[in-house]
Amino acid sequence: MGNFPILTAVTFLPLAGALLIMLVQTATGSNGQDEETRGRQSLMAGLIFSAATFLASLVMLVSFEVDAPGYQLVEEVSWFAGIQYKLGIDGMSLLLILLTTLLTPISLIASYGTVKHRLTEYTIAFLVLETFMIGVFCAMDLVLFYVFFEAGLIPMFIIIGVWGGAERIYSSFKFFLYTLLGSLFMLAAIVFMYMQAGTSDITVLETYAFAPEVQTWLWLAFFASFAVKLPMFPVHTWLPDAHVQAPTAGSVILAGVLLKMGGYGFLRFSLPMFPDASQFFQPMMFALSVIAIVYASLVAFRQTDMKKLIAYSSVAHMGFVTLGIFSFTEVGVQGAIFQMISHGLISGALFLIVGMVYDRMHTREIAAYGGLVNKMPIYAAIFMLFTMANVGLPGTSGFVGEILTMTGAFQASTWAAAGAALGVIFSAVYMLTLYRRTVFGPVTNPALENITDVGKKDLITITPLIIGTILLGITPNLVFDITRESSLRALQMITGG
Amino acid sequence: MLPDFALLFIVLAPGLAALIAGVFQKYVTDTGAMVITTGTVGLAGILSVIQLFMFAFGGGVVEAVHTAAPAAGDHGAAVVAPVQHIITLLTWMDVGQFQADWAIRVDAMSIVMMAVITGVSGLVHLYSWGYMSEDPHRARFFAYLSLFTFMMLMLVTADNFIQLFFGWEGVGLASYLLIGFWYTKAAPNSAAIKAFVTNRVGDFGLALGIMGVFVVFGSVEFEPVLSAIRENAIVTPLALADAAPIRELIVPFLGYNVPALELIGVLLFIGAMGKSAQFFLHVWLPDAMEGPTPVSALIHAATMVTAGVYLVCLVSPIYEYAPFAAGMVTLIGAVTALYAATVGMAQNDIKRVIAYSTCSQLGYMFFAAGIGAYQAAMFHLFTHAFFKALLFLGAGSVIHGMHHEQDMRRMGGVAKFMPLTYAAMMIGTIAIIGLGIPHTSFGFAGFFSKDAIIETTFAAGSNGVSFGTLAFIFGIVAALLTSFYSWRLIYMTFHGPREDSILPETPEVDSHADEHLSVDDHGHHHDHHEDPHESPLVMLIPLGLLSLGAIFAGFVFYDSFVGHYQAEFWAGAIYNAADNTVLADKYNVPEWVFWAPLFVTVTGFLIATFTYFFNRGFGAKIAASGGPLHSLFANKWYFDEIYNATFVKGTHWLGGFFWKTGDKRIIDGFGPDGVTSLVRWGSRRLSAMHTGYLYHYAFVIILAALVFGAVIFWRAGGAG
Repeated sequence: MGNFPILTAVTFLPLAGALLIMLVQTATGSNGQDEETRGRQSLMAGLIFSAATFLASLVMLVSFEVDAPGYQLVEEVSWFAGIQYKLGIDGMSLLLILLTTLLTPISLIASYGTVKHRLTEYTIAFLVLETFMIGVFCAMDLVLFYVFFEAGLIPMFIIIGVWGGAERIYSSFKFFLYTLLGSLFMLAAIVFMYMQAGTSDITVLETYAFAPEVQTWLWLAFFASFAVKLPMFPVHTWLPDAHVQAPTAGSVILAGVLLKMGGYGFLRFSLPMFPDASQFFQPMMFALSVIAIVYASLVAFRQTDMKKLIAYSSVAHMGFVTLGIFSFTEVGVQGAIFQMISHGLISGALFLIVGMVYDRMHTREIAAYGGLVNKMPIYAAIFMLFTMANVGLPGTSGFVGEILTMTGAFQASTWAAAGAALGVIFSAVYMLTLYRRTVFGPVTNPALENITDVGKKDLITITPLIIGTILLGITPNLVFDITRESSLRALQMITGG
Repeated sequence: MLPDFALLFIVLAPGLAALIAGVFQKYVTDTGAMVITTGTVGLAGILSVIQLFMFAFGGGVVEAVHTAAPAAGDHGAAVVAPVQHIITLLTWMDVGQFQADWAIRVDAMSIVMMAVITGVSGLVHLYSWGYMSEDPHRARFFAYLSLFTFMMLMLVTADNFIQLFFGWEGVGLASYLLIGFWYTKAAPNSAAIKAFVTNRVGDFGLALGIMGVFVVFGSVEFEPVLSAIRENAIVTPLALADAAPIRELIVPFLGYNVPALELIGVLLFIGAMGKSAQFFLHVWLPDAMEGPTPVSALIHAATMVTAGVYLVCLVSPIYEYAPFAAGMVTLIGAVTALYAATVGMAQNDIKRVIAYSTCSQLGYMFFAAGIGAYQAAMFHLFTHAFFKALLFLGAGSVIHGMHHEQDMRRMGGVAKFMPLTYAAMMIGTIAIIGLGIPHTSFGFAGFFSKDAIIETTFAAGSNGVSFGTLAFIFGIVAALLTSFYSWRLIYMTFHGPREDSILPETPEVDSHADEHLSVDDHGHHHDHHEDPHESPLVMLIPLGLLSLGAIFAGFVFYDSFVGHYQAEFWAGAIYNAADNTVLADKYNVPEWVFWAPLFVTVTGFLIATFTYFFNRGFGAKIAASGGPLHSLFANKWYFDEIYNATFVKGTHWLGGFFWKTGDKRIIDGFGPDGVTSLVRWGSRRLSAMHTGYLYHYAFVIILAALVFGAVIFWRAGGAG
């Protein structure tokens, strides 16, 4: 590819699209068309830009050298005061970027016909969000990372607050409060690190040896931010509320990408930069992970709202991510990265699936459904597939992440592995109960009599996720080959230094 | 062995057929789906059975075993590497030492299982043409059946624990889908979830066992793991413990230091208990009878439920050097054999009687494996597949002929109307009670395999194997009960006057009466008074073929499985330690041991004949008297009630507690909501400046950040 700044292109293509849409829509004015038509045009334009971003990220995938160590496709420009505009990727960030660029167009397609008001602004919010998300995963400078990390909050805050459900104000503020509070601790830590190390370059900081007691505080500050993002017990309660109020597309991005920033952060910063503290906090991380898995699974079992149930299930599944990361084993870390990708696909799909019936019935109450299989057999089959993926059935991607993270944990603590394995029982309980109450049984709610099966739009959004879930379930090596170097690198830093 | 392309066909074609029938059913139509699946599985069945005969009687293997040099195991035992052929299809997972392939492993174990699976499955497919002929969702049904067959084949041809787990959970999925096949009704849905979740409890153990295998051996592939145990190699665990000879290796687990092999043995067995419905985890199997009867025959009798037995026998080296784990297998197996037989005596639903009988027979297989007679366990697995599938399909034929009646109290005198079904059920019954004459070749299939278990278990008891004698006693008593409940079923169903239905027609226990989806255009569905009719030919052919198996499978394969050629037949796929001689010792047990099974079987027959043939109504009187023992048996020892009161209610309560108290009151109450109200309260008190939310939040955030930042700088500065 020569010197073409592919990472910058991928990162800012959506933002460019957002600006273009904004300019064109402002310049043309109402132009005699109603708001809805103009909104649809914006959405189409946004879709084109996000699709182009996806294609550009495929170019990135092709340019990526699997076996090369360290960061690749690095772009470096001095910014100010020793802070750089520096981008680069390793295998882990590459896949998370691909996940982002895949889920964004899917989200926009899913919004077609369901989001009616202020569609232009809606599209812009998603495109801006996409830029920030990609930026988070390829920023090689701590300050730049922080800018992307924080900026991403705003569009998501707006998406929930403007296009959300009835309780959207409470939920969006709760979301904002939690995540911002967490990140402010991280900001303080970043400032301190910059002052001490004299640089905010991530590659330099990775090898910079902070004193052990300093590490502890820095680790905790980063932890505050990542734990909220992930989210971990006990700072998870914003997630169910945010999901319930967010529009379908918002939930897909929230669960699919935003939560992964937490896991990414632990692997990119906490482990390499604060290895001693990471070791020190391993028992706590195991305990919190296992609590998250068991606790959230049990709470999920009692939910009456479909989205809340899946949100709690997300908390449980992200518990496997932290479990794997803090096992400090190759199997565990590889499993954790895989689990992030896999959960991005599966939870994204589950939120789409809920969205499909929500669009038709305008309720997320489990009790309002039942007997859907009689009216929507294809829907039932798709839902069954992702139910099984979510309970970690072998052959789907859900299994691979769970078994590897648990195996990694087993090496460090049999307690942690046994506790996490309990979650595997509970996931079956809540998912099968959900499926039974919504899909099986006779049709009891008369409003369901005329419900239609999945349409073209639904199939377009869900098919890539079906393919991804099964493909990665059968040949997960597609992921492992790419992430091997970055996993080993993170491990080397924690065990070697 | 068959050429590779034939092996690939046997294993993969059913999966492909399931995909076509399931996903493209709109294009292939019901009939197309039925033809594709039945044809594929039928052909696979024929090939697999040919392969079994080739393997057992074709020679070729013998040489390989005899030329294998005895390695330096303890007591100079011959350590034989199994004769096996592995076709690697694709790398599945490759993470450090965690290497698992998609593969097809063919050895004696998998050859036996392939024949059982595809053979019975092919017949069940054919049978379902008749049984499911009125169902509107036949394509889906046949797709599920083939999917199950594929998953089961993947399980038995795995060359590593991970693919085994794939098949293991895959058959669980197929079982779940088929139990809940009539999805509009409540009972099948509950039963399906119960089956899946109970199996997951077992899988909890299995998964941990597999993790344990990986951590101890650094591999999840069978051969490296099992050969290390056979050779007592020094293994270096990835974590937890230092290198040591595997049989002496101690690892920590949940705070205890336990021998590695014992730990793995127990954990794997917990998985086997779930899948094979053993005591404590058996509760799902009787409820699984809510599924269509062909499913009960294939999955819940002949194949899937035997996967646990298969697993224990497959990893025989582990149990050979894990006496505690093996003792647990023996004990649980023996208790299950007896427990399920007691419950089976007091059930009135024809399918539930057979379900408990299955449970009990699986118990036999387990205690046989536990005392070290893996070959006998596999033999019983093999013969049991024929006669139990026969009994289920026979029962299905009765249910079909009786217009979906399953309560034996409303049957009676059916023999006259369904003579062929009656004959098949008689053969199945004689086979399951194990009728035969000791020291001769006259006997039905069950005679050879069950007596092999009884004799080896007695020998094991004499050799001092833990729980050997107990298992022998339980086995003998359970044989008595088996004979009793089997004949009770025959008499209640087929004999006596047709009009003599003791139960009034009021449908208080009528939940199973309309087994099919209520397609009410078939007027006879709900008319129990119409005479039963014999089943169509497509249902009778499978009964006939299974009858042949139920009669001859024991006699034909005795020498190969447990007799003089067993070492050659198994070709190293099953391992016996040098001091485990139960298979040879079974010839030297006292004379009365050979005759005891026959004696109790005849006794059971006589009691049943007395109470249900000559004194029809006597059994009903016992039931009506409501004695404590009968209540205990009829209510399955109250397992469901106890589990409901503890696990089900407990989970429900805990979930609610965590949600309402944990999340809402504590976390949100002291967290965001608490902060909000505190700030609101504070701002009301201090000033009336602003009321916007954002201000409050920002205020708190900045305050907190300042405090935290100050602390960090102070700490960092203090630390130098």
